[in-house]
Amino acid sequence: MNDAAATLRIETPADAHADGPVKIDIRALDFFYGKSKALNAVDLAVPAHAVTAIIGPSGCGKSTLLRTINRIFEIYPDQNAEGEIVIDGENVLDRRYKLSALRRKVGMVFQKPTPFASSIRNNVAFALAYYERLPRAELNDRIEDALRQAALWDEVKDKLNASALSLSGGQQQRLCIARTIAVQPGIVLLDEPTSALDPISTAKIEELIHEMRTRFTIVIVTHNMQQAARVSQKTAFFHLGNLVEFDDTSRIFTNPRVDRTRDYITGRYG
Amino acid sequence: MATGHTLKAFDEELDQLRAMVSQMGGLAEHAIREAMRCLMKRDCDGARIAVENDRKIDALEAEAEQRIVQLIALRAPMADDLREAVAALKIVGVVERIGDYAKNIAKRVPDIGGAARIEPISLLPEMARMVTEMVHEVLEAFVRRDPARAQAVCERDAAVDDFYNSIFRALLTFMMEDPGKITESAHLLFVAKNLERIGDHATNIAEMVYYAATGERLGERPKGGHDQAASK
Repeated sequence: MNDAAATLRIETPADAHADGPVKIDIRALDFFYGKSKALNAVDLAVPAHAVTAIIGPSGCGKSTLLRTINRIFEIYPDQNAEGEIVIDGENVLDRRYKLSALRRKVGMVFQKPTPFASSIRNNVAFALAYYERLPRAELNDRIEDALRQAALWDEVKDKLNASALSLSGGQQQRLCIARTIAVQPGIVLLDEPTSALDPISTAKIEELIHEMRTRFTIVIVTHNMQQAARVSQKTAFFHLGNLVEFDDTSRIFTNPRVDRTRDYITGRYG
Repeated sequence: MATGHTLKAFDEELDQLRAMVSQMGGLAEHAIREAMRCLMKRDCDGARIAVENDRKIDALEAEAEQRIVQLIALRAPMADDLREAVAALKIVGVVERIGDYAKNIAKRVPDIGGAARIEPISLLPEMARMVTEMVHEVLEAFVRRDPARAQAVCERDAAVDDFYNSIFRALLTFMMEDPGKITESAHLLFVAKNLERIGDHATNIAEMVYYAATGERLGERPKGGHDQAASK
């Protein structure tokens, strides 16, 4: 390639920040469900303050990867991970690393909204009360902050004591995001956060993810490739437990280097 | 392509699109050949028909454009599919332009009545043959997604430029020697320039085909000739 072509490469403003410092450094990660291996020697450096999308067909290991980053798998005795996941200089897979410290750093939002059967206010206050002892006024400020950041405040400010279950699916999902970011975790994992939502609610969540990018490191697993293309700066393609390709999202969706990636994103897979 | 899309209808649409671009290319090639035949035989009636036939290319371009927009909207193509759809969109525009150049040559036929007396005209059919072949080759490269073939077309453009430069100089000399033939010579000069532009457009298409097939840009292409006055 000549220099002129190199300088002509179009970089969106979002891409410009994608190669910042590494926030989650995954090294030689293997994962086992009993004897079956679900992740195979995965090396992945997730950049800070960017959205990294994980894509791949069902069973490729993408959800397993998220479950490993926050060690949620540990509640099942026959599942285990080998390798390292280094966050802020420490290997969080080390058994000596406190789970409560990890939960504080890594928040997670699931496919289906999972609000507690309590008031909207309590849903956000719960984790705050658990991790931090705050004076009431400050607690209220933090709840408002979190709901504002989740773009939900205007819709719920007059009914904070109403049940979270009275909200629409999209609002419930944004409440779950508010609950997650209230404790300022630094890393937010999203496991197909919009697959149960209608297009308008999906657009709101995507806009929210875009806004959150500047304050959090976000990893999103999605089956919707357009969504990965829309919200992320980096994309990782997994297949059969292997990380096949990891690159700028703009590169992955216009000119992937590996044929398997190409076949998957163009719909030639299988 | 090793494998087709899971959605067979998508493959069919892409095939139809390629066939359509190929058909447009065929019409453009025919238009150049026909314009040149009329020019050499001074067939004014044929030239009039050739000018009218350009509408067919215009109509095909409009239809192809609509199909490509639909394909992008409905199939949301990615990676090489996306590159191919965008390339096709640009290519049909360029092929339409090539048709316009052929039309422009045909339009001049009635004005070049006595051109047989102008000796450099004998160089034009060979130049036309070269650019027609480039158009043919580059559209074959598109249909077959063959970057090497596209690159080969780029490399041929230098010879066309050289050809143009020598015709330019020959016509200039001719005009200086016999000012009575300036009008006809000037028309022939425009014909040569039109052919040279067709070569340039074929080269542009080659670059699009190369990008669509590989995702990489072709490097700077070599420029033919050093005759600055002629190349402007």
